[in-house]
Amino acid sequence: MSAHVIEMKGICKGYLLGEERVPILKNVDFTVDRGEFVAILGPSGSGKTTLMNIIGCMDEWEYGEYFLNGRPIHAMEEEELNEVRNKEIGFIFQNYQLIPTYTVLQNIILPLLTRGMTSTEAKERSMEIIRMLGIDHRLKHKPNELSGGQKQRVSIARALVCRPALLLADEPTGALDSRSGKDVLALFGQLNKMGNTIVMITHDLNVAKSATRIVRISDGELSEETI
Amino acid sequence: MLLTELLRLVWLNLSQNKFKVFMTSIGIIVGTATIMMVIAIGTGGREEVAEQFKNLNAGSIDISYEYSGSSRGAGGFGGSGGGPGSSGRTSGRSGSGGGFAPPSGGSGSFGGGFPGMGSQNRMNQERITLSKDNAEELSLMVPGIKSATISYSTSASVEGGDLEESKNLTIGGVLENYMELSNLTMAIGSFFTEEHDRQKEKVCVLGQEAAKTIFGSAYEAYNGIVYIDSRPYAVLGVFEEMGSVASGISPDGSIFIPYETGVKYLTGTGVSPTITVVASDVDEVDRIKEDIKTVLADSYPNAEFTITDAGSKMEAANASNRTLTMLLVAMAVIVFIVGGIGIMNVLFVSVKERTNEIGILKAIGCSRRDILLEFLLEASCTSLVGGLFGVLLALGITPLVESFGMRVSLSVRDGLISMAFGIITGTVFGFYPAYKASRLIPVVALNQE
Repeated sequence: MSAHVIEMKGICKGYLLGEERVPILKNVDFTVDRGEFVAILGPSGSGKTTLMNIIGCMDEWEYGEYFLNGRPIHAMEEEELNEVRNKEIGFIFQNYQLIPTYTVLQNIILPLLTRGMTSTEAKERSMEIIRMLGIDHRLKHKPNELSGGQKQRVSIARALVCRPALLLADEPTGALDSRSGKDVLALFGQLNKMGNTIVMITHDLNVAKSATRIVRISDGELSEETI
Repeated sequence: MLLTELLRLVWLNLSQNKFKVFMTSIGIIVGTATIMMVIAIGTGGREEVAEQFKNLNAGSIDISYEYSGSSRGAGGFGGSGGGPGSSGRTSGRSGSGGGFAPPSGGSGSFGGGFPGMGSQNRMNQERITLSKDNAEELSLMVPGIKSATISYSTSASVEGGDLEESKNLTIGGVLENYMELSNLTMAIGSFFTEEHDRQKEKVCVLGQEAAKTIFGSAYEAYNGIVYIDSRPYAVLGVFEEMGSVASGISPDGSIFIPYETGVKYLTGTGVSPTITVVASDVDEVDRIKEDIKTVLADSYPNAEFTITDAGSKMEAANASNRTLTMLLVAMAVIVFIVGGIGIMNVLFVSVKERTNEIGILKAIGCSRRDILLEFLLEASCTSLVGGLFGVLLALGITPLVESFGMRVSLSVRDGLISMAFGIITGTVFGFYPAYKASRLIPVVALNQE
């Protein structure tokens, strides 16, 4: 198995504004190794969300190669990408992205159901993570009955249930109060110590400092930052 | 995703949007109810035709003569048979001595065949009374005739039994083989015999309704006496109830007396009866009709007879019934299309509303197939709900439709067929929005507010 979880070579993406092509990512080379906790730091418009979407196999790009866990994402079809998203990547979003009509438990086990498990099997498999995140008493609630911090924990639980190779967090503390934000970052530290590879996107240097490595993105170009 | 889990999620989504599901399915509700009513009315119509013609033998042919020499015509046709859609209360009270054809009745309002009406009016200037001899002659001369009979109907005042005052009832003068040819059965007693006819005996057999009108019940009528035109007739028996019939006289409300008895006491020789012959083979009917025409033309060169057969009348009735059904089916199809488009619109809105949810599903690795299936199943389930309510609606409006005199024949099978139509429509029209949902690019879907 490749030592790199993420290996990007010469990724380019842009969009057309009239006849002019506006670049978003300029020849990005980016590597993340197993067990790393990387923060991608940059202001809005720097291209960090686009990079995150490409890492998460949610968006297309124009040039370059991308290997996830050694598998060539650039050569994959839609159905293979679905499988990669399900098995290799756990997403944590700024605005949680929970389905409002489902209960906490249903939201959490959804990735396992997608894999073809029954809900009983999926629940059994998720309980350890649910307990670890301290949301086992909220399983029957709907997302709108939870606080922001609790919602983010549900979102993290959903990202973890498939035991992915990579946790991808997009401004995970962006919608949280400072205390809940700190809790979530502490949780990320804990998860990283447990061996999870985490890539977090943020515009906040203080948040980025909780990572073990910071990569700055500016005008679609990456540069390493020493902590 | 497992189908059971998918269904669970579908149920979850639908159960939390009950009102929306109901509103979405209104088109399907109306469509299903319409198609169920269409089938039920079509079946009812067919049953009604079958019932009205149940006194007919498929191979029976009526021959009657219409005198056009004077205005005072003794109705040459059998009873003024009801159309296929009428409730069948037909009567042959065409004055004295109307033709009364047992197996295929009067010409009614069906095509039947009025060969050369124009020439008939010019030709039929001579009074002709068809007779038993004509019937016998036809049986002998035309090959393929199984049996032949002759009958007429008239109306006369009837007294006796529980009747407080005299009542005008239809009287049929018939031969002993009438019962068999008209598919009638006795409820009590027996039919009269050739001997009764020859002796011109004053005996009679009552229709079920006539027995009830005069005596209160068939049992009390049996062996009783009725007075027809003030003459006493012994009641030999009572027929089973027949119900409404499309042609001839409804047997239920009539009194049957021997042919010769009627000629002697009621109608005199001015009677204009109908000869009915039954073909041994239904396929031979057309040929037999031609032969009859030839034989009769020999005896009566200046007369043209009205020759009608039961098969073509039934065919005409069924054809008009089919037309009605096709019309209703066309209506149901339009309703379904409108309902389907309604479902499609709502599903498009639903896809739009839930784009973010689709994005989440994509982000966690849900396949296109699963997303397509989820939305498609939601459309199907919505249509299923619509189908169920549609069937209930059809059951609810049935009494209303029946109150307009339409016969509605509901069945479980038709309910299931209608529901199937509803579900198929919803699913077909739900496919495109579901397909669109499944093809969304994850990041685009996810960022949709």
